Amino acid sequence: MTNPHLDMEQLLAVRDGDRSEPRYAEGFVHLAGCPFCQAEVERLHQRTARLRALPQLAPDRDRFSTVRARLDVERKHRHWRNGVVVGLAAAAAVVLIVGHDMMHPADLDAEQQLQSAVAQSQQLEQTLHQWHPDQRVVDGHTAAVVAELENRIAQLDAQIDDAARLQTSDRLPREVALWQQRVGLMNALIDVHLTKAGNVGL
Amino acid sequence: MEGLSLPEAEAVIARARSGDPTALEALYRAYSTPVYQLARRICRTTEDAEDVLQETFFEVCRSIRNYRGDGSLWGWIRTVASSKALMRLRRNKYRDTDDLDDELAPGRSGSSVALRMDLESALVRLSDTARAVVWLHDVEGYTHEEIASQMGKTVSFSKSQLARAHARLRTWLGEEVLAS
Repeated sequence: MTNPHLDMEQLLAVRDGDRSEPRYAEGFVHLAGCPFCQAEVERLHQRTARLRALPQLAPDRDRFSTVRARLDVERKHRHWRNGVVVGLAAAAAVVLIVGHDMMHPADLDAEQQLQSAVAQSQQLEQTLHQWHPDQRVVDGHTAAVVAELENRIAQLDAQIDDAARLQTSDRLPREVALWQQRVGLMNALIDVHLTKAGNVGL
Repeated sequence: MEGLSLPEAEAVIARARSGDPTALEALYRAYSTPVYQLARRICRTTEDAEDVLQETFFEVCRSIRNYRGDGSLWGWIRTVASSKALMRLRRNKYRDTDDLDDELAPGRSGSSVALRMDLESALVRLSDTARAVVWLHDVEGYTHEEIASQMGKTVSFSKSQLARAHARLRTWLGEEVLAS
């Protein structure tokens, strides 16, 4: 024997006036002549009112100082990274121009590769800057991935800085390898921002 | 829930956009309690709710320049908060089933009326998803479409979770009446 009364989904549809629910009309008609279901809908209203009247919960601790500290760290990190990128790119350009005449033929290929990687990295920085990632709301997972990529880029920048000071013959191939890694990370960072970032409520 | 009147909110937003740190703090003071309330009702632990509170305001402070003002300020902050809270649930995956089976729950035949749960306890015992849906829909006023979008689920999923939550609450609160 089937239950002659409305199920919970129908009761909620009637309570909320949800005409998109396929069984809304049937439920509405049933409700008009069924005191039992009318009482159920009334209980739903009362339960919702009680949910809304639950005591307000307040945080035990003030977290604003932590929020402000994180914002400061992020701001400093961004300024530092932007400064390092400009500095490294300028240093690489000087090395390329000054060192050009002194290079062996085998180094010319590496030189072009370095030039290309630096240019690509700058282009990607510009693309990311135009995207205004610091003004976008992203979900927690995306934010964690972005933070990890940014940390790896910062570490790589430090390695590039060290490599540029090398006096040995492996300086150029090392710089090429590091700048190419940087291009890869920048590409990944842009992919994450473009594909995962959501303008939550914006 | 509005922590600031419209003129107050507009003034604070203008100051916050220009980088005034006291304006960001004013936003926190005005909205930290409702954000925490939402987070605490959705999340399992106070620690998670506090993390959601912090993540929400970190995001709000970073993004305030991008807030266009075409909805209420609280509506925007609340959406950021609920998004963070749901993300926290997905990440932690505490529990996808209700704590108590219907058979064991108070309110079933043979159970004492004195054993009925209060609403607060019953809410905590719902599955994480059902609790989030019932809170977002019935208390915060989100539509099933909005909840489905935030959860990455379908509208019918949101509706069925709400029905499931109310059926559980009805039983646990001892409000079930046998149909004649």
